Amino acid sequence: VTPTVAWELLATGLVTGGVYALVALGLNLQYGLMRILNVAHGEFLMLGAFLTCSAHTALGVSPLAMMPVAFAALALLGFGIHRLTFRRLAATSPNVDVFEARGLMVAFGLMFLVQNAAQLIWGADLRGYDYLSDSLPIGGGVAFAANKLVLLAVALALAAALIVLLRTTLLGKGVRALMQSPVGAQLVGIDTRRLHPLVFGLGLGLAGVAGCLLSMTYTITPAMGEPYTVTALIVITLGGFGSMGGALFAGLALGVIEAFGMHFTSPSFKAVLSYAVFIAVLLWKPDGLFTRR
Amino acid sequence: MPTPCPTPRKALRPTRRAALHALAAGAAATAAPSAFAQAAAPVRVGYAIARTGPWSVGAQTSQEPNYLLWAEQQNAAGGLDVKGRRRPIEFVASDDRSEIETCVRTYEKLMGSDKVDLVLPPWGSNANFAVAPLANRFQYPFLAPTALSRRLVEMKLPYFFLLLQQPKPMMEALVAMLKAAGARTVATIYVDDLFGLENYAALKVALQGSGMSLVEDKSYPLGVKDLGPVLRSIKDKAPDAFVGLTYPPDTILASRQSREIGFNPRFFYASVGTAFQLYRNVMQAGAEGVLGMGSWNSKRSAAAKAYFDAHVKKFGAQKEPDRWASGHAWAGLEILTAAVAKVGLDRKAIRDFVAAGTHPTAIGDVRFQGSENVGIPGGVGQWQKGEFEIVWPASRATATLVAPKPAWA
Repeated sequence: VTPTVAWELLATGLVTGGVYALVALGLNLQYGLMRILNVAHGEFLMLGAFLTCSAHTALGVSPLAMMPVAFAALALLGFGIHRLTFRRLAATSPNVDVFEARGLMVAFGLMFLVQNAAQLIWGADLRGYDYLSDSLPIGGGVAFAANKLVLLAVALALAAALIVLLRTTLLGKGVRALMQSPVGAQLVGIDTRRLHPLVFGLGLGLAGVAGCLLSMTYTITPAMGEPYTVTALIVITLGGFGSMGGALFAGLALGVIEAFGMHFTSPSFKAVLSYAVFIAVLLWKPDGLFTRR
Repeated sequence: MPTPCPTPRKALRPTRRAALHALAAGAAATAAPSAFAQAAAPVRVGYAIARTGPWSVGAQTSQEPNYLLWAEQQNAAGGLDVKGRRRPIEFVASDDRSEIETCVRTYEKLMGSDKVDLVLPPWGSNANFAVAPLANRFQYPFLAPTALSRRLVEMKLPYFFLLLQQPKPMMEALVAMLKAAGARTVATIYVDDLFGLENYAALKVALQGSGMSLVEDKSYPLGVKDLGPVLRSIKDKAPDAFVGLTYPPDTILASRQSREIGFNPRFFYASVGTAFQLYRNVMQAGAEGVLGMGSWNSKRSAAAKAYFDAHVKKFGAQKEPDRWASGHAWAGLEILTAAVAKVGLDRKAIRDFVAAGTHPTAIGDVRFQGSENVGIPGGVGQWQKGEFEIVWPASRATATLVAPKPAWA
């Protein structure tokens, strides 16, 4: 491997890894911190993508301007969904394990509901548009579409923001306390009834942002969500539940490993590579790379 | 600027709606003062097709819109001509959810217990592979618009007909065109399923003795999200021609990533989806000069133009028929219509009618040898100034090949 090829592969891997990390951040809030295994995560991402695509092609709104809109719309939806479903579950489940199992069922229901709703509204056609697709050289003879670089930058910025939020603010401490001991958190005066929907909404909002950015780089359909959910699950498991830095690192590392792997073998081995890394890490560190006890 | 992603659309809706549509149109036709339509029993036509799940993209672009358009046109004319008597078409249609099992079960019910008069095929090679033997057993003529597999031909099912050109003629046409245009080296990527593998095998055979060499071949899985590393290594080998044996999302992915890394070979070919209007919408000026699987456009004949216009009128300017399988789906319906007009609903007679003659259609004369349509030769299309032109073979060309491909815009 010449240094140029290595640099090319590294850069490609980092950009793809940025996608993985971005998709994983929202799920990490929901599952990593609240034990809501939201298998409909990819579906909410899809909603963000369709909102952006529709606004851009029908009204000419810039997809970048749609980023906060998608975030707000999905976050509001998240509050609503939480109020209708997970709040009741949290109140009636005897412990976190039962809550997790019941939550999973609810999430499956949401997955079908959201996917079919999107199908009814937008139809099954493959959709896409052209935005910021000009090639930008980043040095060393390597160039990327501008929209991908934006995506990587947003992934890095959001991960950094979440790390700061969770580590340094009172809100973040409250959220972490919620995770470590729900009962203890309530005892020290943390209002779980407000914090829960907030974190869930934040998770969905992030899915909306991810969908918004992905719609610039990939074609979209109502069925596009599921592979992203799987990728997100792998990434947060690798990184350690609840660790935003871990998710970022795991996403980027997975991207780089896949890029090199695909170069030396073929893209058909991509899944084998991803799962081999996944299994190896879990054998070595069953709680993920960055879990803190 | 085209708007590929419109707000909520009104085109295709679930089962009941489609059936009601057909029924309503039928009822209207019956109510009209037509001597033929009076009190005629409907012709019940059954099918299952993907409206949800991963197959729905292809199914809702190239196939079901044609079924709906066909029923609407026939019913507006008073119904389907059954040996001189007009009878309204009534669809018994449902979503197969992109599941083979659901698909097979639905057809078993349609043919076994519902005993519909006719069936229309599902979408895709895999579903047709599963349903074709069943249709053969129940002796329902089956004119499949979207199945591409040599193995389906080899099964020699007398009631089964493939309307699309198969891998061998398609790859032979491509190689002949590349050779004539002076290409020396070829690199390929192919999706690792039945479609990709069969086309890859056909490409290798076609390249033998052509004087061209294959400098790189790599497979990729369905649903791939990144072809960057492969395309970069192909770029380093600087082939004259790039051949992507790809499905619609990957066709667009490969094109976007090639543009991204500045990989601009003299010939850039991608398979399914290149002939979709979506490709032009997404790639915009970058579509110029890109080659792909195609066999017709509205310039081909007056009938092709009439079909194209009717499709756009019914489904809107954002839902043009694609320049490959859509036309073949329509041709299948034209043949079926002619068969029923001639021999009625006797399925054995329909089968014999289809198998025997040469059938004039919007895309040209269709003729079957066994299951295979040998009337329409393999072809290559190319985006030129916003239209997907047929550039090979010369006998069907609507424009001349632009080579080398201009730089990605």
